[in-house]
Order: sequence, then C-alpha cells, then structure tokens
Amino acid sequence: MGLEQNILNEPVSKLKLRKAITVDGRTSILHATELMRQEGLGCVIVVDTKGRPVGKFTERVLIDLLAKDKAALNQSVGEYMATVWDQVRTTDPIIRVVDALRDHDLRFVVVVDDHDVAVGLTGQRGLAEYVADHFPHAVMTSRATEGQAMPQREGA
Amino acid sequence: MTDRKRQSTSTDEFEDPLSNFEPRQFDDALEQALCEESVTAVNSTPIASIHADATVQEAIERLSELDVACLLVMEGDALVGIFTARDVLNRVALDCETECQKRIAELMTPSPSVVHETDSVADALSAIAVGGRRHVPILDVDDKVVGIVSPQRVNAFLQDHFQQIGKP
Repeated sequence: MGLEQNILNEPVSKLKLRKAITVDGRTSILHATELMRQEGLGCVIVVDTKGRPVGKFTERVLIDLLAKDKAALNQSVGEYMATVWDQVRTTDPIIRVVDALRDHDLRFVVVVDDHDVAVGLTGQRGLAEYVADHFPHAVMTSRATEGQAMPQREGA
Repeated sequence: MTDRKRQSTSTDEFEDPLSNFEPRQFDDALEQALCEESVTAVNSTPIASIHADATVQEAIERLSELDVACLLVMEGDALVGIFTARDVLNRVALDCETECQKRIAELMTPSPSVVHETDSVADALSAIAVGGRRHVPILDVDDKVVGIVSPQRVNAFLQDHFQQIGKP
C-alpha cells in the first residue's frame, strides 16, 4: 500500500505516540513546567478523576505568561488551561489526525482508548516522522549545516 | 576501410548514458507530490526573526507578540541560530530571573538544520524527522533565508491532497 492509502486506512496506533503527561487542574504551573521538561513534551493534559481529558496547558501559554505575567507561574494549570483541543482514538485512521491538526490549528492531539482515557499524544512531529519513513532516500540526503540535531526531540 | 572499421567499432562500443535510467516509480499520487513539489509549497512567510544581540526576554516577548513557536536568530542577513518555544521550556522557564537577561545568542541552537528552496517537501519532512525540530529554515542558493518550513502548511498540504482526491 502506498502512503496515500496508509494514511487513509492505517490506525493512529501506527504513529509514534508520546506518553501523555496528565495532571489534575490544581497542579501548579511551575510543577507542570518541570514535568514537561523532564518528559520533553510541550504540554500537559489536564484530566478529571477518571483520567478523561478536560483541557491542556501548553508551552505556548507558558511563553505568554513569561512575557506578561511571571507571577502567574505559581497559580494552577486549571486557571490557564485551554479547553479547546481534539482527541482521536487509537483505532481511528491517521487521516483523522491530519484533519484535527488543521481544522483546529493544533500542534498535537490527544489519543484516547475506547474508554476515552488518554493514552498518548501525537501531532505534527509524529505525522512528519510517519510520512518521512516512506522516503528513506530523503533521510540519507537531507542537508544540514555544521550544527547539531537536538539532543532531545521536540513536539508530539 | 580502416575508417569504416573504426567507425563500426565506435558504434558497437557506444553506450547510451541514459540506457539504464529508470525514472522513480511512486506508489501513489501523494508520494509523487511530496517528492516533486518543492519546499516553497510548505513555506511560511513572513519570517519571524530576532537579532543575536537581543535578550532572551525580548525573544520571549516577540514569540508571544507574534504568536509563533520559533524565531530565526540573525546577524544581518546571516542565519546564526534558532530559538523556539521548546528552548524557553528547557532553558529559561524555571530560572527566568537569570536566563531572561542573557543574550539570545547564548541560549539559541546555533547552525540549525536547513533545507534549500530547491529541495522537495519530502526532504523537508525528513529534516523535521531527523533533525528533531518542527521548524526548519529554508535557504536560497546563496544561503539567504527565504522562509521556514511550517508544520501547519505541511498539514494543509496533506489535507488539500486528500480533499482533491475526494477521500471518504
């Protein structure tokens, strides 16, 4: 099957999922930031008592706070979480991820199981890696300057 | 006779240099589009940039003001580094009092992976996958920055393709 059919038919579980950091809404932004740094992720998912996503706190919001209101870092993620996000199931076709990222202008989507419990994250980077796997020759010829690749991957 | 013999020998030895050329075969139209479209199809302009002498705090404010996740760090026309939201998370956020006063040149990633405007979209995706960054600067033949690969534009490229083929 070619890339086109793979994207239309293969399940989201075929993408490289990142482990989702889940926190409750009372977690401080500072603590959430530390978790994000440790796991190399740009967001935490805020969940309810049953592990179901209710919002997200991202490095984009962190930047806004550092730019305008550093004192807010001591407040809880629940105060600043975004309630707009999208989620896909592990069994959904990959095209759902493509649609979700574009339709909602997202960097990543939450991946849930059949009980709507968050099991991971995927997004722009995961999609790029999936597509790039279909072009091994391009990996061999990709040009880089004398600089280095990141020691830690970025994005979900 | 000698000339005819020589000519005959030359004809026998002549080998068409394209005789073993095999055009690349693609499994589908999407693969072909990704290999044949240049990165300009997923280019994002205008470019968000900052001078290398700016402070980290100024860079953070610019990221916030422009609502972008990446700044190209420039010295004149020369690209010298890249500074992203992830750098803020990893290197600044937990000690902003100290780090925010430093020059951006001290915290940026110098000499980032790049692609050129003649490279394909597939090359750009590989640079993202291999280089570890979602944002990859695009240079022209003179190594001047002309744009940056935009993950949003890549997604749009994919989605537009599927809309054209009338996906279910």
